[in-house]
Amino acid sequence: MRFLALLRKELRESLPWLLLAGLLLLAVGIFFLRAHAQVSEADGWQYHRGLSPGQTIDKHRLLQNPNLNLPAIWLAFIAPGLGLVLGVRQFWVPLFTRTWSFLLHRAAARLTILGAKLTATIIAFCISVGLVWTGLYWYACRPDLFPIPEAPQMLVNGWIYIALGLLVYLGTALSALSTARWYTSRIFGLAFAMLVVFVTLAQWRPVSIAALTVLAFVTLLSQTMAVFVRREF
Amino acid sequence: MAEIVLETKGLTKYYGAGIALDHLDVRIPRGCICGFLGRNGAGKTTAIKLMLGLLEPTAGSAHLLGCDSTALPPAVRQRIGYVTEGHRLFRWMTIARLEKFQQAFFPKQWDGKFFADMIEYFELSKKQKIKHLSNGQRAQVSLALALAPNPELLIMDDPTLGLDAAIRRQFLEGMIELITRQGRTVLFSSHILADVERVADRVVVIDKGVLRADCSLEEFRTSVRKVVLHFDNSVPADVELEGLLHCRRSERQLELTLVGVDDAEVAAWADRAGTERFDFVEMNLEDQFIEFTSPPHRKRLFQWEEARS
Repeated sequence: MRFLALLRKELRESLPWLLLAGLLLLAVGIFFLRAHAQVSEADGWQYHRGLSPGQTIDKHRLLQNPNLNLPAIWLAFIAPGLGLVLGVRQFWVPLFTRTWSFLLHRAAARLTILGAKLTATIIAFCISVGLVWTGLYWYACRPDLFPIPEAPQMLVNGWIYIALGLLVYLGTALSALSTARWYTSRIFGLAFAMLVVFVTLAQWRPVSIAALTVLAFVTLLSQTMAVFVRREF
Repeated sequence: MAEIVLETKGLTKYYGAGIALDHLDVRIPRGCICGFLGRNGAGKTTAIKLMLGLLEPTAGSAHLLGCDSTALPPAVRQRIGYVTEGHRLFRWMTIARLEKFQQAFFPKQWDGKFFADMIEYFELSKKQKIKHLSNGQRAQVSLALALAPNPELLIMDDPTLGLDAAIRRQFLEGMIELITRQGRTVLFSSHILADVERVADRVVVIDKGVLRADCSLEEFRTSVRKVVLHFDNSVPADVELEGLLHCRRSERQLELTLVGVDDAEVAAWADRAGTERFDFVEMNLEDQFIEFTSPPHRKRLFQWEEARS
């Protein structure tokens, strides 16, 4: 009951940002998918009515330039951006509004409060950018609209970007909770998260990506938990 | 002897090299209404935050309801109400939503009728958003939220700061509502000494982080006294009285502020000093507090102005 109350509060406070991120990704996705469809039509692929007899498709070109390529690039910015905004909203803004004292005196352990914030963020990511991305993938897979369905790898890529958004959220939380100066160790949390994002985007071996993301997530989460439990408010 | 619900032992807090609280030793028994007094920057908020485990002590400890403040479990926090300084609440919530939020942490204790009655008494509507409330109205909501779970111990950090006289009166009446419930203990810091005088039965005074008094209000009121001694000739150069706080001289008059000095001691010294007569001056709590916490050799404003010119 306590956790649910905290979760509801965090979700409500995140609502404008998750709506904004979700709608932005949806708009960008629809725009690029429609544009891609028009390009395909201009190239002579009659995907609306099926292929004409004897018509061939340059599969290689299609695979090199998947329908969701451009929306994925946008997602790679939107997800970390959402992580940054939610991190600031949940951990930095209360320092200015001075609501930490009120929140922390609730009859709940500090880890429960942190857990509610993290859970709310995961839900926010899943139902905004996660749901929209999955929807866009499903749309791009429709055979009656696109000549070659989207590769499942593209769906996975999108969720990797979403995981990177969570890393940025934790990095922002860690930096916001730090009591050091911004130009000293305080920036480390956010800088580490950003570094992991760039390293992950630079290479595409799934095992490496998964290992790096999990390692960074565990590192940032354990640090955030340790700082949050002992921090003075 | 009454059970001690709040106890600090050598509670000390440093911020960098500066000391905010210096070995605070306080014991507050159950059922006590304790005014926590000190000038600005005396360390009241720091002490309260240390008691509630929001700050980590540099040394010493605080125990609330028998639990160490650095590890207050949720079950103990349920028994402690806290009204934060400035009544900082979630601005986007309505009063109804805030009630629901607060209620979730006190599923068995929450007195919904009491909360509704208090909101009605303060002429508020549950549909109002916190961000649309005035400072005084937020204070009232804060108090209702803190009282509705019927806490055993209520800690309030300057709850009447910035409120006008009428709202303060209402606020105090709300507080008295809790006090009338048996066995409840209240600790509240305040700058408004009239408020403290109205409701408190005990005072804790700190100055620059150091405990100066922890006694009953009655004891404090009778301990800090001002006496004016009149002389035919010039006033004596030295005043040898233990418990002397301040000494102000004029040509034929000596004004002494004393603490813990009884009438007989004053009379004996006055006799030795050759005074014509002496009178005790009536002091209210505010005067006593100011005298008690003022540095002994503080320049008066007009002296400072003279020095400038």
